[in-house]
Amino acid sequence: MSVMRIGHVALKVMDMAAAVKHYEKVVGMIKTMEDKHGNVYLKCWDEWDKYSVILQPSDQAGMDHVAYKVRQDSDLDALQSKIQAYGIKAVMLAEGSLPSTGRMLQFHLPSGHEMRLYAMKEYVGTEVGTTNPDPWPDSIHGAGAHWLDHVLLMCELNPETGTNHVADNTKFMSEVLDFYLVEQVVVGPNGAIQAATWMTRTNTPHDIAFVGGQRAGFHHASFFLDSWHDVLKAADVMAKSKTKIDVAPTRHGITRGETIYFFDPSGNRNETFSGLGYLAQPDRPVTTWTEDKLWTGIFYHTGDAVPSFTEVYT
Amino acid sequence: MIFDTRPKVQVHIAQTNESFPCAGDESLLKGMLRLGRKGIPVGCVNGGCGVCKVKILEGTTLALGPVSRAHVTAEEQAQGYTLACRVAPTCAIKLEVAGKFEKPFSRGFVQTNQIAT
Repeated sequence: MSVMRIGHVALKVMDMAAAVKHYEKVVGMIKTMEDKHGNVYLKCWDEWDKYSVILQPSDQAGMDHVAYKVRQDSDLDALQSKIQAYGIKAVMLAEGSLPSTGRMLQFHLPSGHEMRLYAMKEYVGTEVGTTNPDPWPDSIHGAGAHWLDHVLLMCELNPETGTNHVADNTKFMSEVLDFYLVEQVVVGPNGAIQAATWMTRTNTPHDIAFVGGQRAGFHHASFFLDSWHDVLKAADVMAKSKTKIDVAPTRHGITRGETIYFFDPSGNRNETFSGLGYLAQPDRPVTTWTEDKLWTGIFYHTGDAVPSFTEVYT
Repeated sequence: MIFDTRPKVQVHIAQTNESFPCAGDESLLKGMLRLGRKGIPVGCVNGGCGVCKVKILEGTTLALGPVSRAHVTAEEQAQGYTLACRVAPTCAIKLEVAGKFEKPFSRGFVQTNQIAT
């Protein structure tokens, strides 16, 4: 009974043509499918399941849901019981609720974000195949992202009312979905308030992150690149395509990731990042960032507060 | 502005009494950013995050793209609210900044801490 990895993120976009162009030409994804509702499905070249991003036409930006893939179909039944026992309603959506996808367990995190778990998605293969594969395909374009790596969700945090959905989500993910805490930011008197967390199920530093803010929302979806040079090239691609860069190439102290933040045409933040950072393991001691050093954790080189990091999200 | 010869109109920010020139083919926010000025909060610059929300008090604008309904309702739009990143001026503009940068989460805790001690 285990979650394997992030499966896909469904993003609301206000201009579908512009969004598809962005995820194809800038991020470097491939459109694999479009459904009767006008939703567009895309994957990265190094991913083998049919899609990892769903673009949904909407009158607003933001995340519709994020989905994680579990090992086998029976895990969904076991997890449904476990989630319900924790006190959270979990509904099983029938196979085909999303095209090329098996049944999905749908529920909401304590922060209100919709999460889904599924075991089956149509296999289409990577662009290099499985037999004597080249290290990268000739079809590579844009930033050439390898895969959707993680999402960061903004969660309501209000010390005055005692609301801390970062801590609530972290507890749920840890106790019910067996994610483990890798890094955290603690603030307030004696560091009593867990203001941000990075959690994983794989052995990369994060498969999901939660950061405290005034309201729940979507902070970013991150795509993996191989090297620092690929990050530089991704920034070149963004400059050439006049993509709005939020934070130019730099390094996170947290996770050690080499990063660029930028926005899709609806204002949903994306990240391209490289560097696996370190081997995340269940017994690796948790890294803690304190309130006085939290900006060093977020943008390591300058350590400066960048207000958009905590205040600009969809 | 010897490197930018496009005709400009003045955009006036009511609260700060600041003005900046803006071309008719760029957004109100882009015009402000081009000069490196501060006045209107800057976020995603693509109509999604809502931080550059303004109320147009005088003048008319041209829509450049969709504005998130999560941040500007139809009713607000009728009252002149919009996002500065998504409208270009068609004449001189007077506006009021409506979007506020939310309090950085660290600052909130420092204040809470100070109250407690």
